[in-house]
Amino acid sequence: MSILFSRLSFYIALAGLLFAGSLVFRLSAQDPIPQPPHAPPANPYSHAVAAAGIVEAQGENIALGVPVAGLVTGVYVKVWDNVTPGQPLLQLDDRELQATLIGQRAAVKVAEVSTDRLRGQLLRLEKVTDMRAITQEDLETRRSDVQVADAQLANARAAVAQTEALVARLTVRAPRAATVLQVNTRPGEFVIPGTAQSPMILGDLTYFQIRADIDEQVAPRVKPGMTAIGFLKGDTQRPIKLEFVRIEPFVVPKTSLTGGSTERVDTRVLQVIYRFLCSDSNPVYVGQQLDLYLEE
Amino acid sequence: MIRIALKMLFGDRGKYLMLISGITFATLLMAQGMSLFCGLMSWTFSTMRNVRVPIWVADPQVEQCNDNKPMRDTDTTRVRSVDGVAWAVPFFQNLSMARMQDGTSKMITLIGLDNNTLIGAPTKIIAGRLEDLRMPNTVIIDDFGVQRFSESRDHLIGVGDVFEINDREARIVAICETHRSFTGGPYVFTTYDRAVQYAPGQRKMLSFVLAAPQEGVSAEELARRIAAQTGLAAFTHSEFAWSTIMWYIRNTGIPINVGTIVIIGFIIGAVISGQTFYSFVLENTRHFAALRAMGASSGELTAMLLAQAFLVGFIGYGTGLGFVSVLGINLLKLGKVPFLLLWQIPAVVGIAVMVIVAISAVIGIARIVRLEPAIVFR
Repeated sequence: MSILFSRLSFYIALAGLLFAGSLVFRLSAQDPIPQPPHAPPANPYSHAVAAAGIVEAQGENIALGVPVAGLVTGVYVKVWDNVTPGQPLLQLDDRELQATLIGQRAAVKVAEVSTDRLRGQLLRLEKVTDMRAITQEDLETRRSDVQVADAQLANARAAVAQTEALVARLTVRAPRAATVLQVNTRPGEFVIPGTAQSPMILGDLTYFQIRADIDEQVAPRVKPGMTAIGFLKGDTQRPIKLEFVRIEPFVVPKTSLTGGSTERVDTRVLQVIYRFLCSDSNPVYVGQQLDLYLEE
Repeated sequence: MIRIALKMLFGDRGKYLMLISGITFATLLMAQGMSLFCGLMSWTFSTMRNVRVPIWVADPQVEQCNDNKPMRDTDTTRVRSVDGVAWAVPFFQNLSMARMQDGTSKMITLIGLDNNTLIGAPTKIIAGRLEDLRMPNTVIIDDFGVQRFSESRDHLIGVGDVFEINDREARIVAICETHRSFTGGPYVFTTYDRAVQYAPGQRKMLSFVLAAPQEGVSAEELARRIAAQTGLAAFTHSEFAWSTIMWYIRNTGIPINVGTIVIIGFIIGAVISGQTFYSFVLENTRHFAALRAMGASSGELTAMLLAQAFLVGFIGYGTGLGFVSVLGINLLKLGKVPFLLLWQIPAVVGIAVMVIVAISAVIGIARIVRLEPAIVFR
């Protein structure tokens, strides 16, 4: 065999084989499945329905409305303010009504004066004891004049009261105890009732409420009272224990906001409401998204 | 006797080299063809090699990983609701056009990763930071993208540079290493929500749901379960890779083209080495006849011929594989040509070479065993 081992070609072939072997080995090395860069929200239950949720204030957010279109002259609160029922929030421009009031108050004065005059005349007539000096007719006319004047005065006062009520309406007040979540208007801006963007959003933050969207295809698996755990987007390490509140009886189309001019409707979703007490250690804000797991 | 056979073989250097080069050439053709085929096939599922997850969930019509038949957004939560799913995240993939600042357009494969977890993010970051992907309008490009995007620039594009995808700004925050895709465009990674913004709007945008099994549940079992419960198609990594490969084999001419190269290699190798070996036997007939006259049996002569043939086969095969490997390493360095040498290739080529040399040997043996010792004196 020594004749073989003395040949260069034998070593070339051997080197070729080894080289090919090492290349095969190198190329066959597979990348292992890497750990996710951030731990995903892991399903804590063995049987669970998953849902996507959004944080709301307790009893939903109040998108404040205004009674009439008008110029904003004053905003009395700022975000994070806790407001009590009846506390003024917004002032709309009332100059037009105030102008009307000037005339109406003057009219009250006129009515008062004229009533006083007629009542004085009636009083003087009634003091006359000699019935021959005045006619019964005259006395009756004077009496009815006073009644008419009284009615006119009452009318003038009613007009003032009406305008004052309209003025009072231009001060928008808090409907219930809540926290101011968003202020979208500033003095000098014009607000119109019924627009998509509300001038102010209020919410009761004693509890946070979660509105969970469940695909209608999984909806039959949802039962009232299911316990749930939520993970805020971006925080998969601190699960939030949620308390069941109710299932919304009305199934709605799910919308994804694409930012485009059209919103697309994917599917219909069953909404389930959960709540939890807010704590300072785990800050949560209204409008944040959550991944939810509902235990079956 | 074997020693004499080898001496006979090495004695005529020209013939010996001719014999070896025939086998080397056949090996080279066959192995290179197969490596090209395997490389090309491995490119077809590059997305899956770059985004390594245990389970891929797609629309039931989807057969391969470059397909895009989008699903509804809520399908992610439907997959999450299946028992045994540890996590499931949305994944976006499509082909888009990237426009450079000088106005040139390049095709790219746009990948959208889950916003929260960035599952499927490239593992080999060569510049920049993956975390910066959380900043607005940011993307990660691959090393091939750097080359492609820099073609019309005087210096290489890098971290901090800006281009456009569908008129929206894309700022590069990192550069990664990826496996090249079959479609030829570089990979551009961004978050899912941003990818949906970059891509032209469609009613449905979710290309895939990526999922992983909980501990104690096998990926295969979970894939079956997801498919049964959601009505979507669910594949494990290897199932989806094979499904992709089989799709390309069924729907493209690649296997026929490469198969032709391999068969031509086999035929050329068989013809050249068969012919050369036969003429080698013819030339050495006198020596064989002398051996026979000295009393060598047919069995001994056959063993000699077999030894010669298989030695030629071995040396030619080894040299050929060496050539293929050198060629392959250089092609891989070049990066533009698919090349993948799997262990199956040397094995199959080895068997083919054995068949070639066996055929050559049989032709020679047929002549030698019928040899009359008297031929020495002719």
